Amino acid sequence: MSHDPAAHTTAPARRCPDVPHHAWYAAATTEEVGRTPLARRVLGTPVALYRTSDGAAVALEDRCAHRPVPLSDGRVDGDDIVAAYTGFRYAPDGRCVGVPTQVQVPFGAAVRCFPVHDDGSFVWVWAGDPRLAALRPAPDTSWLRDPAWSTFGGAWETGASIALLLDNFADITHVAHVDPEIAPLALGAAPPPLQVTVTETTMRFARDYPPAPLADWNAQVLELPADAAHAQREEGEFVAPGLWVDRWHVYVEGHGDADGTHSFVFTHALTPVDERTTRHVWRVSRNFTPSAAAEGTLAPIFERYYGRVRDVLETMQRVVDVDGPRPEVRVAADAAASAVRRIVERLVAEETGTR
Amino acid sequence: MTTTSVGTVVTELETDVVVSAVRRLATDVVELTLAAPDGRPLAPWTPGAHVDLLLGDDLVRQYSLCSSPADPTAYRVAVLRTPDSRGGSIAVHALAEGAPLRIRGPRNNFALLSAPRYAFVAGGIGITPLLPMIEEAEAAGADWHLFYGGRSRASMAYLAELEKYAGCVTLVPQDEAGMLDLDTIVGTPDPGRLVYCCGPEPLLNAVEERCASWPHGSLHLERFAAKEVEREGEDETFEIVLQRSGLTLTVAPDATVFQTMRDAGVSVLGSCLEGICGTCETGVLEGEVDHRDSVLDPDEQAEMDCMMVCVSRCRGDRLVLDA
Ligand code: FES
Repeated sequence: MSHDPAAHTTAPARRCPDVPHHAWYAAATTEEVGRTPLARRVLGTPVALYRTSDGAAVALEDRCAHRPVPLSDGRVDGDDIVAAYTGFRYAPDGRCVGVPTQVQVPFGAAVRCFPVHDDGSFVWVWAGDPRLAALRPAPDTSWLRDPAWSTFGGAWETGASIALLLDNFADITHVAHVDPEIAPLALGAAPPPLQVTVTETTMRFARDYPPAPLADWNAQVLELPADAAHAQREEGEFVAPGLWVDRWHVYVEGHGDADGTHSFVFTHALTPVDERTTRHVWRVSRNFTPSAAAEGTLAPIFERYYGRVRDVLETMQRVVDVDGPRPEVRVAADAAASAVRRIVERLVAEETGTR
Repeated sequence: MTTTSVGTVVTELETDVVVSAVRRLATDVVELTLAAPDGRPLAPWTPGAHVDLLLGDDLVRQYSLCSSPADPTAYRVAVLRTPDSRGGSIAVHALAEGAPLRIRGPRNNFALLSAPRYAFVAGGIGITPLLPMIEEAEAAGADWHLFYGGRSRASMAYLAELEKYAGCVTLVPQDEAGMLDLDTIVGTPDPGRLVYCCGPEPLLNAVEERCASWPHGSLHLERFAAKEVEREGEDETFEIVLQRSGLTLTVAPDATVFQTMRDAGVSVLGSCLEGICGTCETGVLEGEVDHRDSVLDPDEQAEMDCMMVCVSRCRGDRLVLDA
């Protein structure tokens, strides 16, 4: 008889086949994970998250090895999690360390344990071969914990594949159609040239806008006159399969104390729940006007905008579900989206050993 | 022609770094550690990746990253000083600790595909891209073996680093043990095993010959120089349709696709312009490519879904490109 824990688990078919598994995904925010188990799904696999007595985050496959009950329906005891109904007890590394009906623990009984990285903002879970996690650093989101930045945000599940979300972030020229009020006035004219910068695993794009007045809400939170024109810069970055970051910079000159670069950073942690559902945690950070009043102005605007994006993406997913995928006509603005698709396809090919 | 119809510019990331350490590894081999001046993380990469070092006007050289992707704060490259080099390795050997340097990339044409078994074959400085591959294969629990040939132990870099893998490494210094015995190493096809080979051209050609009877896709090579491509007859004129840009252009016999696109103001990346670095890879939507690069392996070339536009041409009269 084998004592190898892996011997008790047969390899399931690859779930979410078009998504990199050798990647870090934000299964939860740091505050969400505590001493009460939290149930999430990551790439089609149920995951139970909790903290040990010294506060370390743990992610285990959310299914008891004995009967199909979720561990997250059970309780945390010391450093272990005890399944409801079966009473099987699992250590933070996934090994079964106690069963109620016998003294001898069944040899090799275990549930899958996911490598985790808790950076103080997100609990990142490594969805692929756990032995490779140490070779791929989790992405950096340190601005979310930097006192120079004020941050608010929201989170929900979008009923669309992560590919549709990435395509959306790679080309925000549709903003004016989704939400005319939030759209920067600079976007009104034909967009300036798109500068796309690639590496093996990342893609960034930028557009520099000539001076234009700000949208009313933007001038208001910057405490600037509504009609003054400012140069602006838009940036988007595919940092990793589970993290997209956008930035919007407003360069203010000739307004005394208000002069300087006023920046928004929009952080999007994207976690495939299954092939057509994506967990989307969004954060809006700014390095100006930290007041609660400014947040009171901004929060509903962004909540509405990202909500409308979610609705559009869910519609797209429904069209694809009902009518099937189809080759799409490409335009110049797709250069960023194409670069991201190529990176994702390559990462999937590497980890599956196929091309 | 202006670029008004095509407002998009695609470039590779360029990063200013400093040489944070210089280490002499073996006869004529120096290792540079490169880091951002402020210590911030550099762009992530995977085993097999390389960067361009921008050493001066028109002096751009490609070197494989031989550090670990686990360390986001530093890249390491190891460079052999070659007397016949066009000056790249000599410029690198002249760099001292603290020297500023601009790099481009990383990019990767030698990616490590997941497999249960690997043969790694290194000739001399070709060991560099294989080091991070070995680290990953070992971590993944793969069954791997390194066959590492060189002129002499003194000329072979990273012998100390390889000591910990003792049972999985065969060192073949030529002055003690002769040449790598390729008939034994890769002479018999071994389905399921992937071969990754990097080194001088004669070694690559010898391995390529022996792997011809292996299953398609088994062999992965990284070339330092362009491979000789036989040409049949004169180059012909053909048409390229650039779908995203909405342009149709004519490629003259004495022009490359790359040059034709550039002249029309279409953004296309290029670095080596010799078909070895993979920078100019462009998606092909329709048409048959006359592949002349050293990047794609025969299987990838047969797929006809991408091409290196700096050297490759068209077998018919029309290509539709994703550009
Ligand atoms: S530019 Fe290097 S392969 Fe074309």
